Amino acid sequence: MSKIKMPDKGKRVRASKLERRDYKWIYLFLLPSVVMFLMFYFVPILTMFFTSFTKWDGFNAPVFNGLDNYTRLFSNPAFVISVRNLIAWSLIGIFLHVGFGVLVALILYHKPRGWKFTRAVFMIPNVISAAAWALIYKFIFNNEMGVLNNLIRMISPDFNVQWFYTSPYAFWAITFTWLFYAVIVTLVVLGDLMAIPEELNEAARIDGANQWQITTRIHLPLCRNAIGTSIICTVTSRVAMYEAIQLTTAGGPGDDTMNTPLILVKAIMDMNNGYANAAGVVMFLIGVIIMVIINKVMKMNEPVY
Amino acid sequence: MAGLKKFVTRFFMYLVLVFTVVVSVFPILWVIISSFKTNAQILSSPFTLPTSISFDAYAYLFTKYNFLGYALNSLIVSVVSTFVSLLFYAMGAYVIAKFNFPGKNLFYVLFAMTLLVPGQSKAQPIFALIMNLNLYDNIWGLTLVYLSGGMAMSMFILKAAFMSVPKSLDEAAELEGAGFFRRFWSINLPLTKSGLSTAGILMFLGNWNEYFYASLLTSSDKNRTLPIALQFFNEAFSYDYTKLFAALTVVVLPGIILYACAQEQVQASVAASGVKG
Repeated sequence: MSKIKMPDKGKRVRASKLERRDYKWIYLFLLPSVVMFLMFYFVPILTMFFTSFTKWDGFNAPVFNGLDNYTRLFSNPAFVISVRNLIAWSLIGIFLHVGFGVLVALILYHKPRGWKFTRAVFMIPNVISAAAWALIYKFIFNNEMGVLNNLIRMISPDFNVQWFYTSPYAFWAITFTWLFYAVIVTLVVLGDLMAIPEELNEAARIDGANQWQITTRIHLPLCRNAIGTSIICTVTSRVAMYEAIQLTTAGGPGDDTMNTPLILVKAIMDMNNGYANAAGVVMFLIGVIIMVIINKVMKMNEPVY
Repeated sequence: MAGLKKFVTRFFMYLVLVFTVVVSVFPILWVIISSFKTNAQILSSPFTLPTSISFDAYAYLFTKYNFLGYALNSLIVSVVSTFVSLLFYAMGAYVIAKFNFPGKNLFYVLFAMTLLVPGQSKAQPIFALIMNLNLYDNIWGLTLVYLSGGMAMSMFILKAAFMSVPKSLDEAAELEGAGFFRRFWSINLPLTKSGLSTAGILMFLGNWNEYFYASLLTSSDKNRTLPIALQFFNEAFSYDYTKLFAALTVVVLPGIILYACAQEQVQASVAASGVKG
């Protein structure tokens, strides 16, 4: 997402006579995309912002109530836990999830035997429905027939943990449903690695750098755009994580594994539309803030080479 | 000493690769294999292969439940929304890639920025929109919502694809008397097949797997898509693991098969756009 390139703003659009004749067609071709944009992005986002300051049940007209929805949201214990979870999940995501993805990319870059196979297979969990993946993990972590506990019981026969139903295990069980599935990170970073000119590696080797130094001082800094993109993707996926929670713990035990989308859906079902949209605004803003911060920290707008 | 260090590095490298392959494939293989076992076998020996292959669970799903109906719903919703949005965004990307016109940059930036909006944050306004259109609990309402899904991603892929079609071809076609639509349909579209199929596959996978809006916008049995049906099976057969595993297999396999047919393309486009499908 960092790769959205702003087209040259300075350049004045000069249309040839030929193109001007086509304007009718051009705007006609643009129309469906514009309608989609207005219908599913522009109007919903404006509605979301404005009604987040109102009390609204969806039937009667919305009534302005200031920051009421926001103060209620921030004093809702479930929301407080969901923010805490988001911070913990984001940190785990940035360091372990992105870290693992980068590690795999660095290994694949050296093209060991089977690298193409690994790359292809690593993608499979991402082409599967998140709902199905959540259920698969529910069974893997099942205490009776699950793979994990039966493996552990080979070493310690008395091991019994209801992963998704007891605190603090539920948080970690949810974490494991995505922790190692970092193929997006791997592909994006691998793309940047492959673009590094071979002369740079040779020059470093001639100067006596070993592989570790080449990796940490040359490769990783040159991949900072890819790593920044990966961090933004990871954090925004944590903000939006729904299926993995809804289909396993539904936010429990207690509110241990609560996340904002669950609060939002519950508010829609309770016809607390203003409140739901306040939660939506918070999700939206977290995404924007993370993007701005990561862009700054990773210096993603500065040229790499 | 150097040899040992090299050996340790290699060993570690392959350890990571094997781990990656195992965590990616084993859960799915385990589910598929277990769907042919009896419930007793699943409980008593979770790691063994089935002693006899039984398709009973699959037969049960398709005869006792409207599983075929769910699969058809999923197929209709994903295929229709993918083809229609592919046409819409191809038209948009085509004029943005090939022509200069007032507002061009603004439109492109706006379309691209939709990528930054978490899909679920605008759930309430979209729920209200579908209600107002009288399309709640209707697969066409869901199809309509899915049309908007791949906007930014397909704009990136298709704009690049159209830009790679040489302008001289358009000019030649124009001299031959081909109109605006002919040039788009008969010259440019056929030459961007690979971009179109990449964007199409990514959108199809996204729509086929979508759960959040499907659960929000449908309620009755006849409008269920496969991911939603899974949730109901999860409740209905909470201790009948064989049937659940069979249902999971049916939901998961089409995506994997489609990916297997186009894996190079899917990987390349993910790497290029940094977007999840």
